[in-house]
Amino acid sequence: MAKEYRQNRLETTRNMGPLVDKHWADLRAAKEKGQKVAWSAGPAFLLPYAMGMKCHFMAGYAAYCGGRKAADQVIEAAESGGDLIDTCSYHKLHTGMFYAVKEGIPIREDVILPIPDLMISARLCPEQSHYGESLAQRFNVRVAGIDFPIPRKKEDTPKIEKFVVKQHKEVLIPLLEEICGKPFDYDEMRRILKVEKEACLIRNECWEFMKRKPATWTLWDYGVSIAPIFYMMGNPAGIEYYKKLKAELEERASKNIPAILPDGERFRIMWDGWLPWAFLGIFIRKLIPNGVIPICGRYPWEFFPHPEMIDPDADDIIENWVHQWYGGQNIMWHDFPGGALELIEELIEDYSIDGIIFFTSKTCRAWLAHPDLMHIAERKFGIPGVLIDADMVDSRMVSEAQIDSRLQAFIERMDAMKRR
Amino acid sequence: MEEILSKFFEISKDPYTQVSKWKEKNEKKVVGVYPMWIPEEIVHASGMLPVVLWRGDEPVTIGHAHVPPFNCGITRSFTDDALREKLKFLDGMIFYRMCLQEISLEFIMEHNAQPKPEYIGYFYFPAVFDRNPALKEFLIDELQDFKRDMENLNGIEITNESLKKSIQIYNKNKEILRNLYELRRNSSGKIKAKEVQAIVHSSMLLPKEDHTRMMEELLPQLEKRKAATNGKIKVILTGALCQTVQGDLLDLIEDLGMEVVDDDMYVGSRYFALDANVNGDPIQALADRYMEDEPVCPTKGEWAKNWGEHLIDVVKQNKADGVISLLIKFCPPHLCWYPAVREKLAEEGIPHTMIEVEHEVTSLDPVRTRLEAFTEMIKGGI
Repeated sequence: MAKEYRQNRLETTRNMGPLVDKHWADLRAAKEKGQKVAWSAGPAFLLPYAMGMKCHFMAGYAAYCGGRKAADQVIEAAESGGDLIDTCSYHKLHTGMFYAVKEGIPIREDVILPIPDLMISARLCPEQSHYGESLAQRFNVRVAGIDFPIPRKKEDTPKIEKFVVKQHKEVLIPLLEEICGKPFDYDEMRRILKVEKEACLIRNECWEFMKRKPATWTLWDYGVSIAPIFYMMGNPAGIEYYKKLKAELEERASKNIPAILPDGERFRIMWDGWLPWAFLGIFIRKLIPNGVIPICGRYPWEFFPHPEMIDPDADDIIENWVHQWYGGQNIMWHDFPGGALELIEELIEDYSIDGIIFFTSKTCRAWLAHPDLMHIAERKFGIPGVLIDADMVDSRMVSEAQIDSRLQAFIERMDAMKRR
Repeated sequence: MEEILSKFFEISKDPYTQVSKWKEKNEKKVVGVYPMWIPEEIVHASGMLPVVLWRGDEPVTIGHAHVPPFNCGITRSFTDDALREKLKFLDGMIFYRMCLQEISLEFIMEHNAQPKPEYIGYFYFPAVFDRNPALKEFLIDELQDFKRDMENLNGIEITNESLKKSIQIYNKNKEILRNLYELRRNSSGKIKAKEVQAIVHSSMLLPKEDHTRMMEELLPQLEKRKAATNGKIKVILTGALCQTVQGDLLDLIEDLGMEVVDDDMYVGSRYFALDANVNGDPIQALADRYMEDEPVCPTKGEWAKNWGEHLIDVVKQNKADGVISLLIKFCPPHLCWYPAVREKLAEEGIPHTMIEVEHEVTSLDPVRTRLEAFTEMIKGGI
């Protein structure tokens, strides 16, 4: 009789819902309290936070809206305002929100965003400047742009880093000072980064439990736990959350309790691409019965601060902040396919990976050269891969039949390789 | 006249033969630059032939193993050509950060181009945003790096004088293309849209000196050409940001009683819209041109100006009756800007329709229906 695998959900992750709900509720209420509000595409939201502004973060909001199953509704509002089906769905969540508020189109109360006083477009991908263009042109929002080039070669990094620092200092900070009517609060920025460093250090300890066989938690559990170290950066509740999480993982490890029952995973996979925020349940329900768990991924590993690089007491805190993206681990370099291969190799080794799902979004081409990465990873590392094309939040782009047939072939290949 | 036009059609339809023959005859290097903002003048000043990379006519085959079908026509077609050894005459390929789909091409070419060209370049041309000094400074550094790479590739130093001379040659070609558009604007029905596209596309493929000479011969003859009957619906085409559109589609527009009096397309007026200043530092001049805000470019992070307002100006200048957006399927910059353009034209009461242009066209019937409805709408309002 075939083994019946089932999910063994962590208790700690149940605490996340109320935390993120409060975060977004506070943002919704900000305007009524007279607070300035910003929207941010890209990682620069930390700077408005330091100024006491409330700020949304694009991908964080997409995760929240998708997780609350409200994305289709907002995308529909965007398309009623002229957006097209092939447009980036994250983009449409924002134009859709704006259009809905402006035109009075009913949207679920818990995902409504306040209209911003400022939009910050950090141009990691060109699409992120398109958010700014749309909001400026269609809705008359003031926009600040920071160009964040992704290095093609490691040796290009210093000149790019210098360029990004300069834009923070010469463009964004003066604008924030003008909007808020006060000097930039470097002390608050240092405080936020101090809290962030502490939370991330504990998070890194939690990651170690994914290296364990069987693993005591999955990438999906981490996906649910991302908010405190990203868009809730600086909130001490994040430290408490990760302390609880670590304690639960330690307990599981001491009692040999795995992430999936009855006795742990059969295959450990890497997930390369955005997390499918609105469809996490669909994927996990297809993976777990086959004994497959997502263990790590380029997205969460590359996109989030490496705590060892955070120095809240640095002489120049802006330089330290930008260095977290371009220095040391060089998060940005891992976005370029050449750097991606380096990180994929590292993750395969560290997390004992059996296969890779390359999750490609039909409306977002930010995960560059996925088919090539898959072919190279197979040839170079002997790890099978599969391409799934869908979307992070738009349900029209997700075909369960396609997912089923591709996953079946993928699992059979991992199985065959394991038997060799 | 017909002979020159036929030559332009031949070049535009089969750039592969044209460019490889030129290379064989002239024994010079050829560098493919990806549309739309890589300054060809720098390649020219280094003694090589710059050609603007293009979308082929054939359906994509093995390219789909590297670029998903939900990417735009030019990225898929170009990849397919490079893998099928159709671009083996290229000594260099240059890319930059125009859109996400283009960014991935550098890596795909490094690993798969058959054969891999001697040089594959990638530059970080920045967004223009609010044109702050940091952006301009970074852009100038990138242009200097580009210049150095071209010098190294061909072993010829690019001096300020040689670069200025190339800028002059390019400016002259732009001027003559602007004259062509002026003629079209003032002489209803003398030049077909398909002809204009072939002429501009040829300029992207031929040495500019040769193209200018051909145009100097062609223009006086075109002036004498008999104009078609007036009274047609005058339209402006916009979009198709970095690639040609099918000639059949342009013919269909005209067959339905519309006349293209001007356009706002890359293989069109956008290609020759901006000269670079020949006085002063030439790199600075090329950077200044990149930083210009007209025509509004949806790939550069422009939010000070609305693309729709630019189009309204073009409509007024030409006394046009409507605008047709040719939106290349899966083109994010155009997709993201489309609602703003649509709204702006609607506010101004300018009739507008949008056609999604696929790389592999299976039937023009749905397009015909849409365009017929558009003409009826305009006729109803006239």
